[in-house]
Amino acid sequence: MIDINSIISEMTTEGSQVIIPLIQQMLGLLPDIPMIKLMVSFILWKPIFAALICPGFSTLGILLLFFPWIERKLCARIQWRVGPREVVRWLGGIIQLLADTLKFIFQEVIIHKDAHKFYFLQFPLLTFIPALLPILFVNIASADAEYPLVAIQSPYAIQIMLALICLFPVFILGMGWASNSRYAFIGTVREAFMYFAYEVPFIIAVLAMIILFGTSGSVAITEWQSTWWRWGIICNPFAALAFFIGSAMATSRLPFEIPEADQEVAFGPFVEYSGIGFGLVYIVCYEKMYVLSALMTMLFLGGGNGPYIAPLGDLSGAVWFLLKTIIVMTTLAILRPIYPRYRLDQGLGMGWSAILFLALIALVLSIIMRSVGMVL
Amino acid sequence: MEEGEKNRNIRILHSGVFTPLRRWGTKWSLWPCHFVTSCCGVELAHAFACGFDGERLGTLNMGIARQANFIIVEGTITRKMAPALRIVWEQMPDPKFVNVIGACGQRGGIFWNSYNIVHPSDVVPVDFFIPGCPITPEGLLRGVRAVQEKIEGRDRTTIEFKHVDLPSVEKEEHRVPTTPKIFAPTPAIRVDVPREVDWDFGKEVVNNLKAQLGGLYNSIAITDKNRIAIKTTPENLMEVARKLSDSMGIDHVKNVNVIDVAHERKFIVEYMVSGYSKELMPVIITIFTEIGRETEAEAEPGFPSLTPLWESANYSEREMHDFFGVSFEGNKGMNEKFLLAPDTPEYPLRKDFKVEEELYVLEEGVPLAPTIKPPEELTMPVSEETLDEAEKNDEMVACIGPHHPGSGHLRWIMRLKGDVIVEVNPDPGYVHRSMEKLAENRLYIQNVPLFERANISDPINMNLGYVRAIENALGVEVPERAKYLRTIMAELSRIGAFFYDAGIFSLFTGHSTGFMYVWAIREMILEAIVRMTGSRCTPSFIIPGGIRRDISDDVLELTRNFTFAIDTRLRKFEDIFVTNPVFIARTKGVGVLTREDAIRCGIVGPFLRASGVEYDIRKAEPYEVYDQLDWEATTGDAGDCLGRFLGRLEEIKQSVGIVRQAVDAVKGMPRGNVISEEILGEYKEVSDDIRGYFFRVYGNLVLPKGEWTSITEASRGTLLYSIISDGESNVPYRVRVVTPCWMNLRGIIEASKGERVADFWTVYGSFGYFPPEADR
Amino acid sequence: MKKVAVPEYRVGEKVKLHARAIGTAMVESVYPKTVTTQYPRERKKMPDNFRGYILFEVDKCISCFQCAFVCPANAVRAKEAPNGRYYPTIDYAKCIFCHFCIDSCSGGALKTTKIHDVAYKDMDEMLTLTEEMIEPPEIIREDKKSVEYLIDEKDLHLKRVREVDTLFVAVTPPVEIPMVSQCIDRANCIGCRVCEEVCESGAISSSAENGVLKMKIDTDKCTGCGLCVKECSMQILRLVRK
Repeated sequence: MIDINSIISEMTTEGSQVIIPLIQQMLGLLPDIPMIKLMVSFILWKPIFAALICPGFSTLGILLLFFPWIERKLCARIQWRVGPREVVRWLGGIIQLLADTLKFIFQEVIIHKDAHKFYFLQFPLLTFIPALLPILFVNIASADAEYPLVAIQSPYAIQIMLALICLFPVFILGMGWASNSRYAFIGTVREAFMYFAYEVPFIIAVLAMIILFGTSGSVAITEWQSTWWRWGIICNPFAALAFFIGSAMATSRLPFEIPEADQEVAFGPFVEYSGIGFGLVYIVCYEKMYVLSALMTMLFLGGGNGPYIAPLGDLSGAVWFLLKTIIVMTTLAILRPIYPRYRLDQGLGMGWSAILFLALIALVLSIIMRSVGMVL
Repeated sequence: MEEGEKNRNIRILHSGVFTPLRRWGTKWSLWPCHFVTSCCGVELAHAFACGFDGERLGTLNMGIARQANFIIVEGTITRKMAPALRIVWEQMPDPKFVNVIGACGQRGGIFWNSYNIVHPSDVVPVDFFIPGCPITPEGLLRGVRAVQEKIEGRDRTTIEFKHVDLPSVEKEEHRVPTTPKIFAPTPAIRVDVPREVDWDFGKEVVNNLKAQLGGLYNSIAITDKNRIAIKTTPENLMEVARKLSDSMGIDHVKNVNVIDVAHERKFIVEYMVSGYSKELMPVIITIFTEIGRETEAEAEPGFPSLTPLWESANYSEREMHDFFGVSFEGNKGMNEKFLLAPDTPEYPLRKDFKVEEELYVLEEGVPLAPTIKPPEELTMPVSEETLDEAEKNDEMVACIGPHHPGSGHLRWIMRLKGDVIVEVNPDPGYVHRSMEKLAENRLYIQNVPLFERANISDPINMNLGYVRAIENALGVEVPERAKYLRTIMAELSRIGAFFYDAGIFSLFTGHSTGFMYVWAIREMILEAIVRMTGSRCTPSFIIPGGIRRDISDDVLELTRNFTFAIDTRLRKFEDIFVTNPVFIARTKGVGVLTREDAIRCGIVGPFLRASGVEYDIRKAEPYEVYDQLDWEATTGDAGDCLGRFLGRLEEIKQSVGIVRQAVDAVKGMPRGNVISEEILGEYKEVSDDIRGYFFRVYGNLVLPKGEWTSITEASRGTLLYSIISDGESNVPYRVRVVTPCWMNLRGIIEASKGERVADFWTVYGSFGYFPPEADR
Repeated sequence: MKKVAVPEYRVGEKVKLHARAIGTAMVESVYPKTVTTQYPRERKKMPDNFRGYILFEVDKCISCFQCAFVCPANAVRAKEAPNGRYYPTIDYAKCIFCHFCIDSCSGGALKTTKIHDVAYKDMDEMLTLTEEMIEPPEIIREDKKSVEYLIDEKDLHLKRVREVDTLFVAVTPPVEIPMVSQCIDRANCIGCRVCEEVCESGAISSSAENGVLKMKIDTDKCTGCGLCVKECSMQILRLVRK
């Protein structure tokens, strides 16, 4: 039995509401109906706000709608062309993804004869679980804020996020298996190999940061990096590099776009998906990118830390956080026009030699810094 | 195609809920599944590269059937390809649209009476047809716009003609003229018509040969400079070949040819062989024999194969088996079709197989093109042996193509052991458009545009090779200015072809920026060519005796300037792609062909040079003005993918130099006189511009009796044309074309053995394989 | 012969090359060398000799059939007009735009245009009859600007002009070489009258005098189309200069 009153009292305790001076006055104009007031304070209740608005569902949705456009435009610019433009020309084609999404939604979904129908349909949806859940642990408040802005506070936030992210390839393997096609098979095996390639150095890099921070709670990490010279990327650049390359591998960005290589295995595990099925896997890749970028921002770029913007109140940290996340995402995206693709064995080799080496250096560095107490 | 199917997709879009949203979404998100079957694919790439950027319209090139909703059929759909088109169309989710671009996909274009094409509109319902050969990128984008408007509900043709009544004063009955083609009914065919030439080395070789071959030959003749013909019998053929190989160092086969002399009930089978030693380089020795032709058309006469001795003959022998039904005993591929589809007519190049005749008068009720029944069978089987053997060895068989983002239009049957390629077997012929058969039924001059379409990424060299064979036969000397202009154009074409290959290579390694950069450079080359000739990709500008019209100085100046622009942009390309460490890691040491392997497989051109053979026809047997300009041929030692690529890159720098020198030389020359007076005859006034007298001058061209072989260094290697003329007809008796890509196919197979799966595309890309050129 | 060696790179050089590739991309993302013609909003200017759709002038046509004969794709077929003469029609579903027909037209009756971007919804519409080839057709155009490629000694630039490019060009007529048909061997004439029947200008006439058929070529009427020369079964006719 849920005790409504206790929830309401928790909602309205000090510091559990998101305070944004810019819209606070507008909220005052709302009619004095208890139900609406309740709704508003429910939405502005920090855990709910974090899950639904920022950095959760709405931010993610908006980002997913525009980020592929940004990526395509950026690619096009580097490639001496224009990119998506003509759809609503005065907006410069910014809603291109909306058109694509609508098309996907209304397209026929084909389940071919050889597919394992049940898994073929559910895996694209299931992938959203490991892709969405990590966002709940992301703290976007700056260190100056009195109260954190995070959906679930946990001392083991980073570990849980990592575990969820590492669950991701399992679903892609499932998709490839359910597709039952040769290209999907080759692509799936490649995905599995790449998973082996990046996972160990990736985890070691994160471990190095946890050792350095001495904590793995998302709030504590933000507090630790309160000034810019204490940002993770400056304290331990090796870990940052290993993490970045690891995320490029995890999100199948070039030069590690090996499982999906469309000239070779025609999108590998996703080759048989059509309509909204493909739409989901197309989107989920960007979602994974968002999660990894958010994690990178948290661990290495100081999370929501940045100059305080008064009118935005609690959202000030969120703005900095999002800005940094988008920068990381753009950096991942810009790899596409720069690099060709490595071969599978080369990718695997790199993962187990250079990047692992880098991660180990990072680990040693962290241990040294921690034990010497250089920065603490 | 049933009537109801045609607008089914529009009906789907216009029914159900959220119709405006569905229409809007589909309109701005047409993802084309490119069916780059042939030439028009090059222009499609231009339309989606930086020159025109089709992505502006929301059309993202996809290439995978399940995710695309729009097929653009680029050009010819052959009998072999038609099932693939139907399968891909059926794999696509509704609503889906089909545009057909290029004349080949409509009523067949220049291939209208070919035995191997089908009309795409019989296979799938087509929304729009875009004329052109090839279409321009603008045309393609107009087609995309037309589909967008159709989705909105405005289904219309985008041109409107005004009807003007013709004069109708008097009415007289006229007799309709007959065909301009003259066929000699029973011509005497000889491939060893001797010719007096000033060639001492040749006489020496002939004497040598006579001494060595003893009683093995029937006759030896010098047919032209650098051409020797040896007649022998089928029994002695192998012995003659072995002697040539052992004593003279003949190491490769350039051409295997069969000539059907139906009225004398015989086949002439010839092998053109040569060696890569310094003095033998330009020499082509033709060994030919005659075998009896069975009275029944079905029977396959046997003939000893030379494949055990020279592996480079392998694929050509299999091709000839398809065409003529001559069974080469000793070649393993004799029990299956290679180039042709299972339902193509048997032995189409035999003379008793006739193609549709031209009609010169439009009459009501007479169809504009022959009706062709598309194939009904939708399977494309892999041979049982391959499957059995693979299963026995615990290997996986993966078919790449014919419709795959990285296959080109042929099928590769791969046998994989883990991530390692055990063997790749090619299944070519998806773009086989029967050029050799059609050429036998067209005037000599009409074959100029025909052969050009074998490879529109390198049209001018294709054109030049054919024209040189004719000029050689007629003994026509080309005016100096025309020679220079031809050289300029040929080199531009070579640069264009290299950039085409480089673009495809970068796409195959996953680097789309490299593709875009070189396509921007290609756009400039096409701009230069369009200003010279009036056509972007298919100029048909080089004609026997010269070029169609003189080129003005400001166009030449522009051409010179843009060589500098190429340099500027090429540097960017090098920075981002060529020296990119990832690219180097992918290509270095991959797909190595040693000198011996390269010669054994019979690969040609820059790819052979990359393995260390110093053979460039422009140096070995100079034509046009290559011997008057200062340039160097390139070679390399590595023989790997990177070596092949860098070698061609260096060649482009040399070509740019050639263009600059040639432009400077031409500017100093007096204008006009670009067509040889010998060929113009009475019409000397038009020597600067053929306009008005083209048919008068060229319509009745007849070549002297004999076989006329020309070799040309096309961008991808040795291009060999062999025209057999009977001396009476104004159509060739037989034209044999051996394109470089056809010879290089064997090299791809050899080089990718034992490499990893992903390396296959690196090897493939490094060879610059262009399926229409290989399949002809 | 120039040897091209495959380069060897050490780790330091590799880092430099990575930096160079990334640097190039960064520079291009700030100052891109965009070369895109934004068709259909803009249209690239084609040179006057561009080979596009073909127009026809009735007055200049001598019905010589050469356009039909030379067409490699058999797209040009002559159609009988109400006045009994044959004029060309073009099937754009087969036309390959080689313009051999234009180059063969000695009267200059066929002319090029710069139209090349057309979509047909039906293949039957692609046959263009003589009646439709006379007046310039109208195409759907959305372009407001025209783009021209300028190449200076450094790079390619796009020059955009706010004008709608005209697609029809003025063509100078080809050189005139007046030819007439002449019989070179009257003795061998068998009097089959094919030349008379095939002649579209009515220059060849026959008269029977005393039972002997006499053929006459009126050099004033003769357009020099050469059909009689081609059709003559005895090959005794030649085209000569007037």
